Amino acid sequence: MAIKFAGDFEVKRTPEEVHDFLIDPNRFAALLPDFQGLSIQDPTHFTVKVNVGISYIKGTAEVKMELAQAERPKHAHYKGQGSMAGGNVALKAGFDLSPIDGGTKVAWQGEAQIFGGLASMAGGLLEPLGKKQVQKLIDGLQAALR
Amino acid sequence: MSAIEKNDARPWVGRALPRKEENRLLRGRGKFADDIKLREMLYLRFVRSPYAHAKIVNVDVSSAEALAGVVCSLTGAEIAAQTQPFIEIGPDACGKIKDYPLAVSKVRYQGEPVVAVVAESAGLADDAAELVQIEYEALDPVVDAEEAWTDKSILHDEAGTNHVWNGIFEYGDVDQAFREAAYVVNIDRMHFHRFSSTPLENNVVIARWNPKDDRIYYECNNSFPSFAIQFLSAHLGVHIDRIRVETSDIGGSFGIKITSYPQMAVCALASKKAGGRPVKWVETRTEHITSSAHGNERTFRDTRVALDKNGVITALVSRHIDDCGAYPRYEPLGCVIWSQVFPGVYRFKNARIDFTQAVTNKCPVGPNRGYSRMQHLWFLERVIDICGHELGIPTDDIRLRNYIRPEEFPYTTPNGCVYDSGNYPRMLKVAKERIGWDQWKKKQVAGRNEGRLIGIGIGTTLDSGTNNFGQAQIVNSGAPFSGNSQGANCKLDIYGEVVVSVGSCPQGQGHETTAAQVVADVLNIHPDRITVRTGFDTERNVHTGFSGTYASQFAVSGLSAVHGAAQKLKTEMKRLGAFLLETKEDDLEFGTGEQGPELRATSTGKSINYWGLANIVNVNSAVLPSELYELTLNCRYIWRAPFKVPDTKKKFGSLTLTYASQLHIAVIEIERDTFIPRILDYVAVDDCGTVINPPIVEGQVYGATAHGIGAALMENCVYDPVGNMLTSTFSDYTPITAMNMPTVKYDHIETPSPHSYSGAKGMGEGGAAPIHTISAALQDALFDSGIIIDDSFNNADSLFRAMMANETSQAKKVRVERR
Repeated sequence: MAIKFAGDFEVKRTPEEVHDFLIDPNRFAALLPDFQGLSIQDPTHFTVKVNVGISYIKGTAEVKMELAQAERPKHAHYKGQGSMAGGNVALKAGFDLSPIDGGTKVAWQGEAQIFGGLASMAGGLLEPLGKKQVQKLIDGLQAALR
Repeated sequence: MSAIEKNDARPWVGRALPRKEENRLLRGRGKFADDIKLREMLYLRFVRSPYAHAKIVNVDVSSAEALAGVVCSLTGAEIAAQTQPFIEIGPDACGKIKDYPLAVSKVRYQGEPVVAVVAESAGLADDAAELVQIEYEALDPVVDAEEAWTDKSILHDEAGTNHVWNGIFEYGDVDQAFREAAYVVNIDRMHFHRFSSTPLENNVVIARWNPKDDRIYYECNNSFPSFAIQFLSAHLGVHIDRIRVETSDIGGSFGIKITSYPQMAVCALASKKAGGRPVKWVETRTEHITSSAHGNERTFRDTRVALDKNGVITALVSRHIDDCGAYPRYEPLGCVIWSQVFPGVYRFKNARIDFTQAVTNKCPVGPNRGYSRMQHLWFLERVIDICGHELGIPTDDIRLRNYIRPEEFPYTTPNGCVYDSGNYPRMLKVAKERIGWDQWKKKQVAGRNEGRLIGIGIGTTLDSGTNNFGQAQIVNSGAPFSGNSQGANCKLDIYGEVVVSVGSCPQGQGHETTAAQVVADVLNIHPDRITVRTGFDTERNVHTGFSGTYASQFAVSGLSAVHGAAQKLKTEMKRLGAFLLETKEDDLEFGTGEQGPELRATSTGKSINYWGLANIVNVNSAVLPSELYELTLNCRYIWRAPFKVPDTKKKFGSLTLTYASQLHIAVIEIERDTFIPRILDYVAVDDCGTVINPPIVEGQVYGATAHGIGAALMENCVYDPVGNMLTSTFSDYTPITAMNMPTVKYDHIETPSPHSYSGAKGMGEGGAAPIHTISAALQDALFDSGIIIDDSFNNADSLFRAMMANETSQAKKVRVERR
């Protein structure tokens, strides 16, 4: 079950500043909704812990992230894999940056592939919940890059 | 004593006798596997794969094992190190598949067990299971059998292919028939969906590997234990005599509980690791839906049907692709079992079917009511129905033109099966009368004039019972199975009670009652005087390698064994009675006197009751002359079906002994605004030969009809493209309930089987009839809209999609060549 997200927003920062923010796990990961903790393995690998609660399925998800592709100041693409009670998730998230007058346009897209029993909820609960969480992340990003 | 009068001279077989087991089961006094609590019992929980296809990179059970109350855990690697893979029935590449009860290096379907955790309580086992850390590396899944056949992503590396089996079943002169055809109907693709059974009681296993005697003791609800112990013995490396399996009351199986032997293996190994403490596993509903077993999913490609100018089918060609899920297990038997009903209820003699089976990243399949035959019969019913609509021949008429005629029985099919008896035209006549065919036809015309979508459909199906296991040799010439048998024991106990045991494990089919009816007729006593010990026990019951309850055979194999054992007992009782009453055997009559069941000498009026007979043999034996020492009044009988090994090259031979039949008619309306299909009227006509107990037959017809209606309209195992099962709870799988059942009008005819001693045929698997019937009724409703019903599952959503696709696509699913 794949859930796809996409959108864009504009900030009054240079593409370089936005790029530097996005590839810094300390700053970027903390914006994840219900963020609990972070451990950094190396400059391109880190693990985040987030609280997850979907109906009766509650717990902590541990997501191993990899900065798979980064070209300053054009784009930053992450992929990750996590597990929680009820299933596993494979993530892809990409940010493509382009300069605009007085700032940067951030075009983002993501895909969450859900595996396990959790997936049977995807049609009903997961998709709107996922969209809500992604919106929180984007709102956080916009606020942090203000 | 039953309300039925003692002096009623009618035989007990055929009477509407209330079920003996009803009192126990309806009052909550049944004994089911989960009712069993043993001292020091432990509880097992499986950790299952969230992935449909992935490598297992690492398994860490340390946190789980550190939890207080956790006794041990088991991984696939541990099991692989101490056992052999399960036997594979299939040949060639399929035979190389290594199937262990826990995944070893890869997972191949979502829900596959990877780790077992054993704890002091079920709750602790649940908690511990959540602490197991498993790292996976996702692989490309394949969830479609046709795609699997291309081998782009291989499930079993050791096999090197996803191919399980392929064979061509060809009979007659197909090419000649097509050359001479007046019409050729071409059907591009049809699909039989994946669904399962939802017994009230899920799988349960209690295993104890006793270190004192190095024997394994099982109490469980497996429905084919004699098959299970053969797999377990080879897998565990334990002599088969060292495995004891007991079953008690079972809350439904419908075939699905045949394949619980992998879980039985894990529980035994867990018990061994836990020092011999008993280990219980109780399956949850989601586990049952996602990972017990599903029915076979099948796709029918490139179907061509030759018909003469009268609409009689003369030849059929098709390719069938079967999806058996991640592990073959009971497969590839399904690749040949469908051919028990090769022509269905029709007379065509020329046919070529290319049958293929592949593994996919989905739950393994297993026998499900109507196993492998219902898919084929649905296909044939779609063929006849589509041909009727396309050629403008009414659907009742085209069936009558093609049915095997009553005078042709016993009828030998093109592949050598012998249909014992039947009268399909009469069933159709009865069904049409019961539903009011002519009146509904008028209502249909009136309704259509008002814009309503009303369809009337017929479905005819066969329930072939008592397999010839020699058909396994058609899929694998080295398979060491053939024939069929069942064992029973009938005895007079020390105080003269009549006690019957038989190697079956009933799941609601009323074996206690019907076995008692058979023995009651032999001994001329009331069935309430007969104790039938139900439940399988490898140490207590007589059993053979075919014993269990499956494949519509108890009425033939089980009751034939019971009848044989009762006859042997009767013969011994007569010899003993003749000696004691000082008369000839043919002077004796069996009956019930002042002191209970007895033998009477008609010439002298002297009698001896059963206590007296049993007393002489068991505790007063010094009065016996030496020539009667061989009498035991404890008689074992093995009934064997009169089969020969089929010709495996020609795929020809008698594959089943009896053929019960069902004919259903449904009237359905599809709501224009919502596309919800609603059943307006429904009739089910059954023919299972001589009826042993009418309410039991009727009950099984209702149950099978409910299962089939559920399958046709509500129950579907839906997988997404990455192999997630999206219908893993009852909320999503939506099994049929009493709330969704229409009122079913029931009727029956009796065409006694010449192949069973009583004329009875096995029954209970007619669950396919509603699927054929509902597809046909929907077809009738939608044909004028240009819709072809080419899938066995049709709910409001799929009907909506079919209507929308029809409006946007010009592709013809059916093409008719008129010569």
